[in-house]
Amino acid sequence: MSANKRITIDPITRLEGHGKIEIFLNDEGDVANTYFQVPELRGFEQFCVGRLAEDMPVITNRICGVCPEAHHMASVKALDMLFAVEPPSAAKKIRELLYMAFYVTDHTTHFYALGGPDFIVGPDAPPSERNILGVIKKVGLDIGKQVIDCRARNHYVIKMLGGRGIHPAAGQPGGWSKPVTEEERKEIEQIAKDNIDFALFSLKAFDDIVLKNSNYLDLVTSDIYLHKTYYMGTVDEKNRVNFYDGMIRVVDPEGKEFVKYHPSEYYQHIAEHVESWTYLKYPYLKKVGWKGFVDGIDSGVYAASPLSRLNVSDSMATPLAQEHFEKMYETFGSKKINGRYQPIHHRLATHWARLIELLYAAEHMLELATDPEITSPEVRKIPEGIKGIGIGSVEAPRGTLTHHYESDERGVLTKVNMIVGTTNNYAPMTMSIKRAAEKLIQKGKIVEEGILNRIEMAFRLYDPCLSCATHSLPGKMPMIVNIRNQDGEVIRTFKRD
Amino acid sequence: MKTVVIGLGNPILSDDSVGIKVAREIERFKIQNSKLKINIIEAYAGGLRLMDELIGYDRAIIIDAMVTGNVKPGSFKVLPLSSLVTTRNISCTHDTNILTAIEFGKMLGLKLPDDITIIGIEAKDVETFAEELTDDVHKAVTIVASKIVDEIIYKKGLCSEKCLDN
Repeated sequence: MSANKRITIDPITRLEGHGKIEIFLNDEGDVANTYFQVPELRGFEQFCVGRLAEDMPVITNRICGVCPEAHHMASVKALDMLFAVEPPSAAKKIRELLYMAFYVTDHTTHFYALGGPDFIVGPDAPPSERNILGVIKKVGLDIGKQVIDCRARNHYVIKMLGGRGIHPAAGQPGGWSKPVTEEERKEIEQIAKDNIDFALFSLKAFDDIVLKNSNYLDLVTSDIYLHKTYYMGTVDEKNRVNFYDGMIRVVDPEGKEFVKYHPSEYYQHIAEHVESWTYLKYPYLKKVGWKGFVDGIDSGVYAASPLSRLNVSDSMATPLAQEHFEKMYETFGSKKINGRYQPIHHRLATHWARLIELLYAAEHMLELATDPEITSPEVRKIPEGIKGIGIGSVEAPRGTLTHHYESDERGVLTKVNMIVGTTNNYAPMTMSIKRAAEKLIQKGKIVEEGILNRIEMAFRLYDPCLSCATHSLPGKMPMIVNIRNQDGEVIRTFKRD
Repeated sequence: MKTVVIGLGNPILSDDSVGIKVAREIERFKIQNSKLKINIIEAYAGGLRLMDELIGYDRAIIIDAMVTGNVKPGSFKVLPLSSLVTTRNISCTHDTNILTAIEFGKMLGLKLPDDITIIGIEAKDVETFAEELTDDVHKAVTIVASKIVDEIIYKKGLCSEKCLDN
């Protein structure tokens, strides 16, 4: 390895986490390996052990400044099991209602502020334009207002139901701490309707700007980020996408169901591979085995993302989302086998899948807001015993999120383990980055133009959350590329901004 | 002038929480001193979420951890808003940077402060889960809090480059 050339893309320290990409070239100047390094936040388990289990929903939602709602939900579900209590039906529905509002805001933000700029502004536009301002310049100020309104109204719902903005506090083992009033229900119903309009509008914008532009459509359907891996997601009893509850379904690269298991059995199915060069652990399917960062049915690598959730499902649970689901699979020429579409392996389709999920979340939010049971006062069952082990999972926007707690007979925690959404996608992200690098660096020739963006696009589609919730002000440039000679000396540096 | 003081950080991530600790210290001053007519907010994320918190104010003072590696932990400095620019879509890709978010908000006609001051406090450890600050960073909390209070009540001015060592 020491004789290989090394290229480093290092964003140093940034507002919301930091990572480092290392590209190693072989003697011929082609890409030998790419490493995606992330400094791990340390000691969360020790931080929690010795605390009361019931504090976890408000502690774990501090792990991340972006998806606290997902941690809150996985945590209360783990507590339901730990305290051996089944929440009343209305409580589950309120949890799910809040969760749909969260999904709408999270997917909206990703599309307009992050994923969207690559398409709407263009993959080769200068970085200074590839942001939400560039999007607004292209699609109009009114859209910007709609994005802000959408975020605001759904944050309002989260605060109303969760008792606190951003970091909900209302989840309790056995249910929820307050019922929904009829006035609140009416407000949420209207907000859900507005969300559906907004989701449909967003899908139309995607259609007009991306799908009707042959260059972008070619990019989405090209093999640039194509990986035939296993897929994971949560499905309901009819094998439809579900964000809040259900069974974990894994399909193989051909689309056949590989396994379906209850979230509490995750450790029988998932193992973690360790590489010496990073703190990251790479989850893989235990029964297939770790074969390295490779595609195919013999490699235990799986992805858990919006596209993965659609790939494991037979259909969507709401009518409008179903229409768009069919349209996406038909556009990619996916054939139906045994009544279900074959998976889409083109990773850029994840952006489209995210919008379909946005529509599903909005439609399901309306279903829940108009469910007669949603205003039931029966929102809590008081736990009476302790099982001592609790495992809860939800679909976080970024993938299946699992919380696993163990406690003594008093409910004091003795063990905490988590697989966060992004973790599931570490191996696929590494593979997508390598694929991008291979296209950009051949025989020692480096395509400098757009290199940072093309590599970013490779992992941005997974919407990764790395060391979430650090806001440390940076003191250096955001991204630096060092090209090193065989002795490790920097022979050229170029950086963003 | 409607002023907001925002402590930014993760409360359970060691020195990353220093901004929040300063905000809480100012809250204590506020209870004792009725002249301190400000709103105090604890915030946990940058970008659009931070921009949301700024809406409706004339002036904002944001306190956050800083990792430059060039100065002693606990040193603090008034920074230009542009120093917050660097969340460039690469890692925690959920949002946009605060400068872009503010420009976006202004484009949409939202009322955002013209006067935004950032105070960065050099952190030692922002990667270990802990509720406590490291010693040197802890010492900065009262000093920074009282400087902000003095500035707001007595217009004493915030520290400049000279404030680097606490």
